[in-house]
Amino acid sequence: MELFFFQLLNGLGLGVIYFLLSVGLTITFGLLNFVNFAHGAFYMVGAYVTFVIVSLTGNFWLALLIAPLVIGALAIALEQSVVKFSYVLEHKYQILVTLGVALMLQELVIMIWGPIGKNVSPPSSLAGIIEIGDFIYPKYRAFVITFSALIAIVVWWGLEKTKFGALVRAGSENAQMVGLLGVNITRLFSITFGLGGLLAGLAGVLAAPLRGADPFMGVEALGIAFIVVVIGGMGSFLGALVGGLVVGVMQSVMSSVWPEGASLMVYAAMAAVILSRPRGLFGRA
Amino acid sequence: MDRRKFLVTSTAAAAALSLPTLAKASGGIDIFGLKSVSGNFASYGKFANQGSEMAVEAAGSVIGKALNYRLLDSEGNAGKAVRKIKEAIEKDNARFFNGATLSSTGLAVGKEVANVGGVFTTPVGADEVTGSECNRSTFRWSTPTFGAVEQTLRPLLELDPSIKSAYTITPQYVFGEALLTNTKNVLADKGVEHVGNSYHSLSEKEFSGYITNAAAAKPDLLVLLNFGGQSSTSLRQAMNFGLKNKMKILVVWSAGLDQYKSLGSDILENVYLGAQYWHEVQNPGNARFVELCRNKYGVNPVYPMAGDYIGTKIIIDAIEKAGSDDPAAVISAMEGMTYEGLTGEETIRAFDHQAIKDYYLLKGKAKSAMSDEDNFVDVISSGKSFPDENASLCKMS
Amino acid sequence: MSLELKHCPILIAIALAAFLVLPSISLATEVLIFAIIALGCSILLGYAGLLSFGQAIFFGLGAYVASLSQIHLGVNFLVGLLIATAAGAIVAALVGALAIRRQGIYFVMLTLAFTQLAFFISYTLDEWTGGDNGLLDVPRNSVNIFGYEIAIDSSEKFYAFVAISFVLIFLALLRITHSQFGRTLLAIKQNEERATALGYSVKWYKVLAFVFSGSITAYAGGMYALFLNFAPLSNVELIMSEHILIMAIIGGTGNVYGAVLGSLFLVVVGDMLSAFWERWLFMLGGILILTVFYMRGGLISGLYGVFEFLSQKLGSASTQKES
Repeated sequence: MELFFFQLLNGLGLGVIYFLLSVGLTITFGLLNFVNFAHGAFYMVGAYVTFVIVSLTGNFWLALLIAPLVIGALAIALEQSVVKFSYVLEHKYQILVTLGVALMLQELVIMIWGPIGKNVSPPSSLAGIIEIGDFIYPKYRAFVITFSALIAIVVWWGLEKTKFGALVRAGSENAQMVGLLGVNITRLFSITFGLGGLLAGLAGVLAAPLRGADPFMGVEALGIAFIVVVIGGMGSFLGALVGGLVVGVMQSVMSSVWPEGASLMVYAAMAAVILSRPRGLFGRA
Repeated sequence: MDRRKFLVTSTAAAAALSLPTLAKASGGIDIFGLKSVSGNFASYGKFANQGSEMAVEAAGSVIGKALNYRLLDSEGNAGKAVRKIKEAIEKDNARFFNGATLSSTGLAVGKEVANVGGVFTTPVGADEVTGSECNRSTFRWSTPTFGAVEQTLRPLLELDPSIKSAYTITPQYVFGEALLTNTKNVLADKGVEHVGNSYHSLSEKEFSGYITNAAAAKPDLLVLLNFGGQSSTSLRQAMNFGLKNKMKILVVWSAGLDQYKSLGSDILENVYLGAQYWHEVQNPGNARFVELCRNKYGVNPVYPMAGDYIGTKIIIDAIEKAGSDDPAAVISAMEGMTYEGLTGEETIRAFDHQAIKDYYLLKGKAKSAMSDEDNFVDVISSGKSFPDENASLCKMS
Repeated sequence: MSLELKHCPILIAIALAAFLVLPSISLATEVLIFAIIALGCSILLGYAGLLSFGQAIFFGLGAYVASLSQIHLGVNFLVGLLIATAAGAIVAALVGALAIRRQGIYFVMLTLAFTQLAFFISYTLDEWTGGDNGLLDVPRNSVNIFGYEIAIDSSEKFYAFVAISFVLIFLALLRITHSQFGRTLLAIKQNEERATALGYSVKWYKVLAFVFSGSITAYAGGMYALFLNFAPLSNVELIMSEHILIMAIIGGTGNVYGAVLGSLFLVVVGDMLSAFWERWLFMLGGILILTVFYMRGGLISGLYGVFEFLSQKLGSASTQKES
C-alpha cells in the first residue's frame, strides 16, 4: 500500500513533465489546426542546448533561461521557412512534412554531437534527496514538479487573462474571424508556434538532468506527447494537464503492477479514448 | 504514358543505377564488416567500424595477399543485415565477416554465413551464438552472461561480506533472463537474500517506478541487469534518487568507456561495473591496440572498437596460421587458437567457438582521483568464467 | 487494348531490368518485395486517402505466419504464403474496421496504437516468434505438383518466383484500381460527403481497401521471411511502418508504378548512400518535405513530367526539321 502511494506521487511528478511536453503541441493544434510531428525534436534540441550551456558555463540556471528562447527562435524560423506553407494542407501532409523536419533535426544533432548521448548534471544546489521517513524523492525532481506547476499556471494565465491568450482562444474557434477583426493572423500563428516550441524546449531543459540528452529522445517524447494530447483532447489546455497526469501515474503504477505492459497500456488507453470519446476527455466537440 | 516510353526510361534509370557496380575490386582477401553506421544504433556502429578498419590497416596483407576492408551498413535492422550478407556472398564471393550490433542480427547472419561455410566473428551479447544456436562458422569474442555475473557479482560479494541482500532490475527478454538466472545462482550460492526483482520492457525509458520499488525493498546491493541506454538511464535515475548512499550498486553488463564518458564521474563514483574490455589493462596485445588507436584517432579505444578490432584481427591471424584463405582451413586454424588478445592471452574453444577471455569488475572513482580524463574506474578484479562443455547447449553439427 | 495486355510487358520488363541491371540478385529481390509493400501502402494512401502507420502489422504478420506454417505445419511455400495472405486480410479487416471509425489525426493515432499492440504481442509470444532474437531457420518447403518437385532453393529461382508474384500482384491491383471499386475509392478520397450522399457505403469501401492492402503486404512479408530465412522482430516496429510510408510517398501514391520507384529509391539509393554518408537519413527528411510541397505525385509524377518535356522538345525539333 505504501509502495502504491510512492508510485502515485512519483507518477504525478512524471505527469507534470509530460504536461509541459504536450501543452505546446495542444495549443498549436488548437489554434493552427496543425499536427506537429517535429514537436519531440524541439524537446531533444532543448536538451542538447542545455548540455552545451552547462558544459560551457557550468550554470544550469543560465540554460533554463536561454535554451527555451533558443528553441522558441528555432521554432519560429522553422515556421517561417517550412511549416507555414503547410497550414493549408490536410493533416496527413502536415504529418509528413514535420516527420521530415524531425528526421533532419535528429540527423543534424548526430552530425554535430555524435550518436552517443550526453550527460547533464542537475545544479549542485538541487543534487540531494528529500527524505521523509521512508519516502525518498530527489530534490531536483521536486524542483521540476514545482517549476512545471508554476509554468502551468503561467500558461493558463496567459491563455485566459491576456489579450494574446484571448486571441489564441478566439483563433482556435474561428481563425478567419479573428483575421477579419484586423488582427495579423500570420504573426499570431507564428508567435504561437514559437511558444509551443519554447515550451517543448523547456521540457527538454528540465528533462536533461533526469535522462541525459540523446539523439533519439525526440521520437520517444513525441509518442508520449501525442498520447497525452489525444487522451486529454486535442487543443485543450486542461486536457494536456489531466492527460499528462493520467499517463504519468499510469506508467508509474504499472511499473509495480505489470511492467512489461507499461508502454502497451498507455497506447491501449489512447486507442480506447479515441474509440469511445473521439474528442478526448476535455476536447471540444 | 505508353509502354515504349516507360521501357526507355526504366532502362535508362536502371543503367544509371548500375554504374557504381563497375567499380569492383581486387585479387586480395576481402574482409567484410557488418556495422550499424546509420540508423538507431549508430552509436555502436561508428566505433565498431573504426575497430575493424584499424585491424585490417595494421595488418595490410596476409599470406602475401593484400587485405581489403569492406563496410556493410546494417542500418540497425536485422533484415537489411541478412540481405546485405547474402548480397556480398553472391556478388563478391565473400567469406570473411565480422561485426553485428544486435543479437538478432548476429544470430541470423551466423546462419547465413554457415550456409556457405564462411567465417563470422561477432561480439554480440546473445549466449545462443555459442550456445543453442552455435554453428561451425560463427565465433564469439564477448564473455557470455554466465561469466559476466560470475566475474562481477561473486568477487564483489567476496570483497564485501556486509552485503546480505540484493535487489535486481531486469529487462524482460532472453538476455535479461539469462543474466537474472546466473545472478540468482550466485546469490543463493553465497547465501545472499534476493529481496526482489523488477522486470521492465525493452522499450522502457523511465525507471523512477522501478527505482522506487528497489528503494522500498531496502537491499544492501542493487544489481542492474540491463544494458546500453537503459542501464545508463536507470543508473542515472538511481543516483537522482540518492540510492548510492543507501546501497551498493552493480551494473553487470556495462558498455565501457563510451558509456562512462556519457555518464560522467559524478554518477559513476563508487558504482561497480562489469565490462568486457578496459583500455588501461596492461598486456602486450592491448598496448599495441591502444597505441594504434591513439595514433589514428587521437583517443582511447571504446568497447565497440575493441570488440570488432579483435574480431577482425583473429580472422587475419587465423588466415596466417592456416597459411590459406580457404574458409574451412581458417575455421580449423581458429579452433583452439591461442593469441595475444586485448585482455591478455585468449583462446578460442573448439567445441563452441567461444573466445576464453577476461571479464572485468571495475569501480568508478571520484573526479579528483582521476589521473586523466578517461580514467573513470579502477580495475577491482578480472578473470575467466565460462560454462564448461557439459553445461553448454552447443551441439555443433 | 486490354489493361493486362498493356501493363504485363511493362511489369515483366521491370522485373527483368531489375535482375539484369541491379548489382545483385538479392538486391533485386528486396526491391521487388518492397515494391509490393509500397504498393500496399499506396492503395490506402493514394486511393483511399488513408495515412496509416499500421503497415508493419501486416508485414510482420505475413512474415511470422508464412514462417511458422513452414516450420510447424510443414506446408509448402505456396500454401504458406496463401495462409499468410489470408491472415493479413483478416487482421487488416479488423484493424481497418476499427481505425476508420475516426478520421484525420485520430485515425493516424489509432493505427499507431495498433502497431504498438502488434509489436507487444510479437515480443511477448517469444515461444512462437523468437521474440527479440527473431524467428531463425525459416525453411522454404518445396511444392509437389503432379509429381514435379518445384523448389525455390537458389537465389535465381527465388527471384523468379518473386518476379512472377510481382507481375501478378501488380496486374491484379491495376485491375482493381481501374475498376468501379478503384474509381469509387478515389471519389471518396476527393469528397467523402458527396460519395456518401450518392449512396456509397464509404466504410465498406475503406475496409475493403484495408483488406487489399493488408493481404498483399502480408504476402510480401511472407516472401521477405522466406527470402531471408529469418523473420526479425523489427518487421513489426513502428519505424518499419514509417519506412514503408516514406517509400510509398517518395515514389508516388497515385500510380502503381510509383511503388516501384519508391522501393528502388529507398532500397538502392539508400544502400549506395549509406556506404559513404552515414547520416543520409538527413537527406531523406529533406526529400520527404520537398515531395509534399513540390511533387505530391512523387518521383513517378516527376518522371512523367520529364517525359512530357522531352517529348515536346523532340516533337517540336522534328517538326522544325520537316518544315
